[in-house]
Amino acid sequence: MSAIHELTQKNRPGVGLTVAHTAALVGLVLGTGAVMQWVVGPAAGIYPATILRQIGIVAIAAVSLNIVNGYTGQFSIGHAGFVAIGAYAGGAVSFYANSLGWVGAYDPAGLLTPGHAVMLAGAAIGAGAAGAAGYMVGLPSLRLRGDYLAIVTLGFGEIVRVLFQQTQSQVFDPQAARALPISGWWPPPLGGAQGFSSVIPYGELFWIYAALALTVVWCYRLKFSSSGRAFLSIREDEIAARAMGVNLTRYKVRAFVLAAALAGLGGAFYAHLNLAVQPKDAGFQKSFELIIIVVLGGLGSISGVLLAAFGLGGLTEWLRQPTSVWPAALVALALVGVVQAVRRDIDSRARGRAMGRALLVIGVLTGLFEGLRAFAAWQGFKLDDIRIVLYALALISVMLLRPQGLLGTSELWLVPGQLMRRKAKAAAAPSLRTAGPADPAAAPATGVGGMGGGVTEAGGDEGWP
Amino acid sequence: MSDHTQANHTADHAPGPQPGATDVARALLRAEGIGISFGGLKAVQGLSLAVPPGGLDGLIGPNGAGKTTAFNLLTGVYRAQTGSITLDGRRIDGLRPHQIAKAGMARTFQNIRLFGNLSVLDNVRLGAHVRGRHTLVGTLFRTPAYIAQERAILARARQLLGVFNLLSRADEPAKSLPYGDQRRLEIARALATEPKLLLLDEPAAGMNPQEKRDLARTIQRLRREFGVGVLLIEHDMGLVMDICERITVLDHGEVICHGVPAHVQNDPKVIEAYLGEPG
Amino acid sequence: MGTLFDATFFDTMIASVAVGSLYALIALGYTMVYGILKFINFAHSDVFVLGAWTAFTTTTALIAWTGLSAAGAPWWLGPIVLGVAMVVCGVTAFCIERFAYRPLRKAPRLNVLITAIGVSLLLQNFNQLPPAPGLARTATVSFPFGPTPKTMPELLPDVILNESIIATGTLGGGERRGQVLLDRAVTVLPGRTYRLDVTRQTEAGPVVARFNLNNPPVGEVQAGTPLVTQPLRPPAEMQGLAYVLVQVPAVTIRLVDVAIVGTAAVLMVGLLWLVFRTRLGAAMRAVSFSIENAALMGVNVNFVISFTFVLGACLAAAAGFLYPIKYPSLQQPASDVWVLLGLKAFVAAVVGGIGNIRGAVLGGFLIAFIEFFGETYLSATIGSGLQDIYVFTTLILVLLLRPAGLLGTPVREKV
Repeated sequence: MSAIHELTQKNRPGVGLTVAHTAALVGLVLGTGAVMQWVVGPAAGIYPATILRQIGIVAIAAVSLNIVNGYTGQFSIGHAGFVAIGAYAGGAVSFYANSLGWVGAYDPAGLLTPGHAVMLAGAAIGAGAAGAAGYMVGLPSLRLRGDYLAIVTLGFGEIVRVLFQQTQSQVFDPQAARALPISGWWPPPLGGAQGFSSVIPYGELFWIYAALALTVVWCYRLKFSSSGRAFLSIREDEIAARAMGVNLTRYKVRAFVLAAALAGLGGAFYAHLNLAVQPKDAGFQKSFELIIIVVLGGLGSISGVLLAAFGLGGLTEWLRQPTSVWPAALVALALVGVVQAVRRDIDSRARGRAMGRALLVIGVLTGLFEGLRAFAAWQGFKLDDIRIVLYALALISVMLLRPQGLLGTSELWLVPGQLMRRKAKAAAAPSLRTAGPADPAAAPATGVGGMGGGVTEAGGDEGWP
Repeated sequence: MSDHTQANHTADHAPGPQPGATDVARALLRAEGIGISFGGLKAVQGLSLAVPPGGLDGLIGPNGAGKTTAFNLLTGVYRAQTGSITLDGRRIDGLRPHQIAKAGMARTFQNIRLFGNLSVLDNVRLGAHVRGRHTLVGTLFRTPAYIAQERAILARARQLLGVFNLLSRADEPAKSLPYGDQRRLEIARALATEPKLLLLDEPAAGMNPQEKRDLARTIQRLRREFGVGVLLIEHDMGLVMDICERITVLDHGEVICHGVPAHVQNDPKVIEAYLGEPG
Repeated sequence: MGTLFDATFFDTMIASVAVGSLYALIALGYTMVYGILKFINFAHSDVFVLGAWTAFTTTTALIAWTGLSAAGAPWWLGPIVLGVAMVVCGVTAFCIERFAYRPLRKAPRLNVLITAIGVSLLLQNFNQLPPAPGLARTATVSFPFGPTPKTMPELLPDVILNESIIATGTLGGGERRGQVLLDRAVTVLPGRTYRLDVTRQTEAGPVVARFNLNNPPVGEVQAGTPLVTQPLRPPAEMQGLAYVLVQVPAVTIRLVDVAIVGTAAVLMVGLLWLVFRTRLGAAMRAVSFSIENAALMGVNVNFVISFTFVLGACLAAAAGFLYPIKYPSLQQPASDVWVLLGLKAFVAAVVGGIGNIRGAVLGGFLIAFIEFFGETYLSATIGSGLQDIYVFTTLILVLLLRPAGLLGTPVREKV
């Protein structure tokens, strides 16, 4: 019996803890939905609420893509394919359930009508279908790495797009739908090249944000678990991970299946918000937009990706009516000034340099943006039209200047601790620099020779083999 | 190095046969005639090894002799084209690397392969991964079994970090450790897989004499505290001759000598193979 | 369908060879960059699209500015357009390499891949931006190129090379409704296509009108007997008409296809010569073998890499110029259709074995063959419009069975 097994058997907790965790999960999911539905939504107004719903769906897709591209370090550029599968499945289930007369007419006031139940079932089916597709895409990832895997996922997205183009035309007439024999449902009547439309609008803020909360909590639990560490180890070094007993097959496929299923979930809500799905939604353009979010936020960071999704979503809206950025630049500069002033780990000279750098960066960015705004006004085009171009530039700049993205693999709540540690290290820098393995004086204390003490200490520990 | 009270339950303290004359029947690791060639190059040919439980064997040879390739064959990175490998009575040739790790063989790498961006603690926890069952349902719903296992892995990892005196740096990314600490962390990570046999690929590379002496003591202790057998690739002849019970010498992919250190040291073929190499 | 090697077969074959040679041209760019830098230049397909766009813009601009007629472009227009497209794409590729890829040469591969995707997105979406009013010089020339579909002017006359003139004719019969009288006896065969070319002299020069003969009377037609009745025309246009009766072969070989395959072949042979027979090519091969060693041997690595990018871009520009000559009605914006063409070329490079120049050529033809033959012969049983599925399925199968491609050499990762 392994030590881990013995320890596990010895310290097995009761069901209470699981119940508590599950209650917290359900509370968080419903709470997020409720706050968005009844507090944020009404306060924001109808149009911003619609934008918030769109951003919520994009966030689900991006956070799920992060499992494959961020944690596991595989590079999928066909994620929109999974979103589209979920969208088609979810949209079709609630549309045909409605036309077959299984649920009543849409009631805009209700949040938990029979129609919603069907919508949720459709979302589950969409997630399942996307997960199954994820399994098929995950299998090649066993043999292919990096660029090659990227191509295969790209090819997958394109195949999904063409397959949806090949479906039969949508049956709009409820009578005809009811009269359709079993064989008439294959190939599925999903609208072909025209796309699938007239989906019932069940995509309320409540449900979208409940789904987002579920996705985020699950991704959080996954990241900080043994499975999550297995994903991360594959990203860091496949050979070492394998040698340490990580079953690459299982974990790569697991990452793909989970990411695809969550993307499918998001896709089902996309169908109920957008009310129509096109084969184009599976194309690589859509996947690239998700990749931008994940890379900008930080490959592997849940909070970073959320920030990027909401940040870019807000930015897109703002670009429709761009205002001057001077005030924001001044505020940012003031903030940097305050932070630099209270820092204690650097002397006044370094502080001055840091301020100078901040001034330069903020100044250049402000100048560039104001110039662009003026140019757009002169040329008579809207910045909104060139937003993807701007994002692409941002993507390249991030790769050149800060390849780890906004937060790297870290999380928002871990950043203060990391900064503190860096500070402590900077304070201890003179001694650390010499405390390497080459320092004979330090070796007995911190080097290999220090092991004896450790063994003695650990020797008294319980559960020592 | 004074506390020997817990060392009695390890195998190598039992009076065994003369070093060098391995009792093949009860060998922990037995490789027979394994070989592989890349294109036309016979990287390793007809290599036979036998490490007894808790034994400490060395694998030496000049640069390019095929030592690391031999490790890669044993750990399943490459599939042996000829021969058979048995670990603790079980055939492991043809198994995939993670299955071999589970069967009880762990290794370190010549050029350290830590998970650089993961914390020191997470590196060791990942090592313990192989001894657990990790279901998706357990992870997402935090079942009691999952919670218990995560706690066990955490406790075990902290314990190992304590042994290697790395506990104070547990939360730092592994890549920020000094070189010597990284080497020791790699050993800690390998031990977390609870191996029966530990393969160390040039553990003393880049160390100064003091550190090498410490490493020698560490390796001796590992065998006692953890009861693992050790197979060692090393260029430092002093270290190898000091601690290894049996030594196998490879040259051009073939075994040219095998025996106790004293025997190997005086073998003319070995001297010839190493001629011009700093000992 | 009759026998296997019928007209359908040969038509498909000709289309495959023409389009395959274009795929090969683009694939060469992917494969050369991969050979040297070991990364996939995702932006290459967008350079191809840029080439097509530049070709379109240059053609329309030249026609507009020089006052040439759009129908009969002179022969020298093509080479000029090709040259401009190559220069534009070459400069773009140089800038991409210099400013986006070179700073990342030592970075992890994933970062370079993401940068390449970023560059691809940038080009793709920049190409699709609506033209800025202040930047567009004329209605026909726009920058950026914009999302509206446009049609490429005809650079080559649509000539069938293997057709044969079987008789000439004169106008006979009545004043306004004349009949075509042939100068010799002709046997009209069933199942064949016949065409009547009517040349009319106008002040601007001769104008040719072509009429396909629908159901001409089968059998012997004597000289001097009326073949068909000339349609009603104004009397002024009845003067100076010349008739030619053409038998259209079952399998047509068009000038466009020959021009495409010929140009592509010249470029490919030139490339092979450059890579395998010149000093610069030796330097390229050396850099591809090992950047460090090549640098130690005195090769100017940066120059070689830049040159490779520019060379690949020129080939892509050529493909971007040739493709709309064959398919002028294909919508011109850098939309998904065009990007998809670049992607298929990319698939061709990977299937052939990326990094291998001969593999790129092989893959280009193979992908085109699979695409066209699949669509022609499988559409009845599986369904039409599935050529992209055949292509990407081939890709996945090849990658699974032979990850290094058909002609590539597998690389073993060092442990």
